[in-house]
Amino acid sequence: MNTKNDHFPQLTAAWLVLVILTLVSLGLSEWFRAAAWLPLLVAAIIWFKGALVARCFIESHVAHPFIARVLKTFIVLAPLALIATAFYGATLARWATL
Amino acid sequence: MRSQAILDSNPWAPPPQTEKRIPGNKGIWVGITCEFIEFAVLFIVYFVARAHFPDAFQQGADRLSRVSGTIITLLMVTSSFFIACSVTTMRAGRRQASIYWLIAGLLVALGYPVAKYLEIQWNLAHGINGESGIFFTVYYYLTFNHLVHATWGILGILWVLARLLFRGYSSEDYAGLEALACYWHATDIIWLVIFPLFYVLA
Repeated sequence: MNTKNDHFPQLTAAWLVLVILTLVSLGLSEWFRAAAWLPLLVAAIIWFKGALVARCFIESHVAHPFIARVLKTFIVLAPLALIATAFYGATLARWATL
Repeated sequence: MRSQAILDSNPWAPPPQTEKRIPGNKGIWVGITCEFIEFAVLFIVYFVARAHFPDAFQQGADRLSRVSGTIITLLMVTSSFFIACSVTTMRAGRRQASIYWLIAGLLVALGYPVAKYLEIQWNLAHGINGESGIFFTVYYYLTFNHLVHATWGILGILWVLARLLFRGYSSEDYAGLEALACYWHATDIIWLVIFPLFYVLA
């Protein structure tokens, strides 16, 4: 078995998915700008792209548990905040008012 | 058993899984963790501002250049891909190929400051500056901050490339190259959050 190219298809596939999702995001902003579920989908894409970079490029699945946790936490932070702002924006603004 | 044997003989795969493998070195992960905390705080400011001024944020994205945001995103993910290939080839002992991948990563990464400069010129031509409203204030400080971090990354690529050219790394010891790669990938992850927040969510 030729093992020399085993890792490149995975990296290339990850890069292609990142490019496609970037272009899809642009389309979403044009076609579904008024849709109430758009922030939900955008949040899912942010999380997926971040997780893809962490797993395929940083190889977080074989990293020290602390590193894996730092990556997981940061990647999930913005999507959760985006969903909270989109659906509970007024409540969040009230809590964050000085 | 057989698949394990294949994995063991694959020079392109990450080193065998140990309980506490640190990609690169400990120092870079202290830096990356600090970078994540800094941007987490900046993102909290973004979301608090967005919660207070939802209309300004929805209208603001329409005034920015989506082409610029998309080009920067493509530059970031492509340079990340090239640098990941540089690590993989070095791991397999192909030093020359690793140099070529890193040079490719550097050239693509250099496109980011160029694209950002052109975007700022475009913004100013369209009357968008730091005082154009809350959305643009947040946009400028977050994207400029990211540009600063990316500039450090580009300087890091130059340093690692110089070491690579002078045989500073080998297939047994390439921690410096991998540390730089981790920093660049982390900076890429941050941009992948910034892009939809400013250019997609209109």
